[in-house]
Amino acid sequence: MDKIYLDHVSFVYSAGTPFEQKALDDVCLGIRAGCLTGIIGHTGSGKSTMMQLLNGLAKPTSGRVLLDGDDINATLEGVFDEWSKRQEYQHLSKSAAKKAIKRELLDKKRVLCFRVGLVMQYPEYQLFEETVYKDIAYGPRNMGLSEEEIHERVYEAAAFAGVDQAWMEKSPFDLSGGQKRRVALAGVIAMRPEVLVLDEPGAGLDPQGRNAIFDGIVHYQKTTGSTVLIVSHSMEDMARFCDDVVVLSQAKVVYHGTCKEVFAHVDELSAIGLDIPQITQLMLLLKERGLPVPSNVYTLEDAVRALQFLV
Amino acid sequence: MKGISFGQYYPSDSMLHRMDPRAKVVLAVLYIVCTFLCNNVLAFAALLLSALLLVCMSRIPLRLILRSIRPLLLIIALTSFINVFMTKGEQLLTPADWRIQIYAEGVWNAVFMVLRIMVLIIGTGIFLTYTTTPLALTDALELLLSPLKKIHVPVHDFAMMMSIALRFIPTLSEETEKIMNAQKARGANFTTGGLLQRAKALIPILIPLFVSAIGRAFELASAMECRCYHGDEGRTRMRVLKFQASDALAIVLVTLFGVGLFFLNRLGIGYTRIS
Repeated sequence: MDKIYLDHVSFVYSAGTPFEQKALDDVCLGIRAGCLTGIIGHTGSGKSTMMQLLNGLAKPTSGRVLLDGDDINATLEGVFDEWSKRQEYQHLSKSAAKKAIKRELLDKKRVLCFRVGLVMQYPEYQLFEETVYKDIAYGPRNMGLSEEEIHERVYEAAAFAGVDQAWMEKSPFDLSGGQKRRVALAGVIAMRPEVLVLDEPGAGLDPQGRNAIFDGIVHYQKTTGSTVLIVSHSMEDMARFCDDVVVLSQAKVVYHGTCKEVFAHVDELSAIGLDIPQITQLMLLLKERGLPVPSNVYTLEDAVRALQFLV
Repeated sequence: MKGISFGQYYPSDSMLHRMDPRAKVVLAVLYIVCTFLCNNVLAFAALLLSALLLVCMSRIPLRLILRSIRPLLLIIALTSFINVFMTKGEQLLTPADWRIQIYAEGVWNAVFMVLRIMVLIIGTGIFLTYTTTPLALTDALELLLSPLKKIHVPVHDFAMMMSIALRFIPTLSEETEKIMNAQKARGANFTTGGLLQRAKALIPILIPLFVSAIGRAFELASAMECRCYHGDEGRTRMRVLKFQASDALAIVLVTLFGVGLFFLNRLGIGYTRIS
């Protein structure tokens, strides 16, 4: 089953005013569980809006966002008829069942941001605590965990995100940009989210910093089997790390499939102003010049292999 | 939406929008004087008519202008209440043996007061806040106050600070929203709990906000220095204000309107306000 499913989701900014703007237009999209999915699109294509819908920060204007099949924005009126038939509510009177269902919905809403971890763009700007340790512990503390559990999670998350143990008692403001980014990532991973959503995790970092961040993300995904969504416009990163790719353009999903499937649409992608990975472009140029190389090469490693095969 | 609804500025392309902001500041002052010149029914009728004419000329929806009066409703109600009950006159409206006595003069005074406050708000709104961007207004004030430089008042610096502050309000509010969302995603809760708990919940927002605001201020200062900003002396403007004949004409017209009001008061038709 899909971990996340967007069911005819639309999102309109400033509805009913002259500044009305459609950010998502009747989008249907399923995200496979346990996969790393990349979301590509231009600025203003609806990527960032989609992220905020996933953990309830924004509510769709119409349509439903399903997490494990449950509508995350479910209301009492919406679910009462169905839920009241469940075993745990069946024997209750109508008003008691209503109360119990309301409580369950509230609980679900509260834990939603812990289940779907959101790492915003430039997350280093959200650091605020005196020490790195305390900052990573902020999320787990909001979950109401015990001190031992918090301690365990902070060190686990630090290991995933590549946060050095030696930084733990330092002020986060004394770290470099890339180091801060890793601390911020650890702050979200420490909540052990089933779904990790990241907005441009590599933006503004040097290649080493980028690699460190992406390694951390992939390490977390592989170890815990969680579902990861990465919003980016770097085709190289998408091709290197993602299993699936979703292409958004003008508030709609244009392509959705594995990297190979999506990047095969070279001409269509360039038509909407997106580039295919540079290494793929190179291979296509080589092919044009008459070299017998495959055109479905998306990463440096594959390219090296394909070229070695020629020699 | 970002930066659009900041302040009350209503983008449009009317005669008043195109006017020189300096002229508009002068006009606003003149118009305020006009509202205080009115003392009788005729003068107030003329004033009300002029306010309506201004609204039409500015092409701003009347609904929007009336909305700006709403926050002042309490003051308007209070002043009219005081005027109705506190003014002593000759024509008693209530029976003579009542403890509360209302005179016709009091009612007239109250009506005049309400009209005066409303026209005051509409007038300043139309000349200043609705048709002039905050930046143009700062420019205009700087130029109008520039004679004060003679006595070493740093007018330019104040105006620069003002423009920078105005420029960064939308940026900072956007940033606050981003940080709030980021902390909410980590389970922050700003809406429940006692006063102390809620104040504490603001720390994760305020610290990153201050850190970035201070960082931004330093960056801006460096950027200005890199481009050799050195203050007022010999500085040219990107938006050069042009005082045109139509601006002068508008000032003359409003002055004449004021003179007209003065004479309408002298005519002594209808009730004349007593103080």
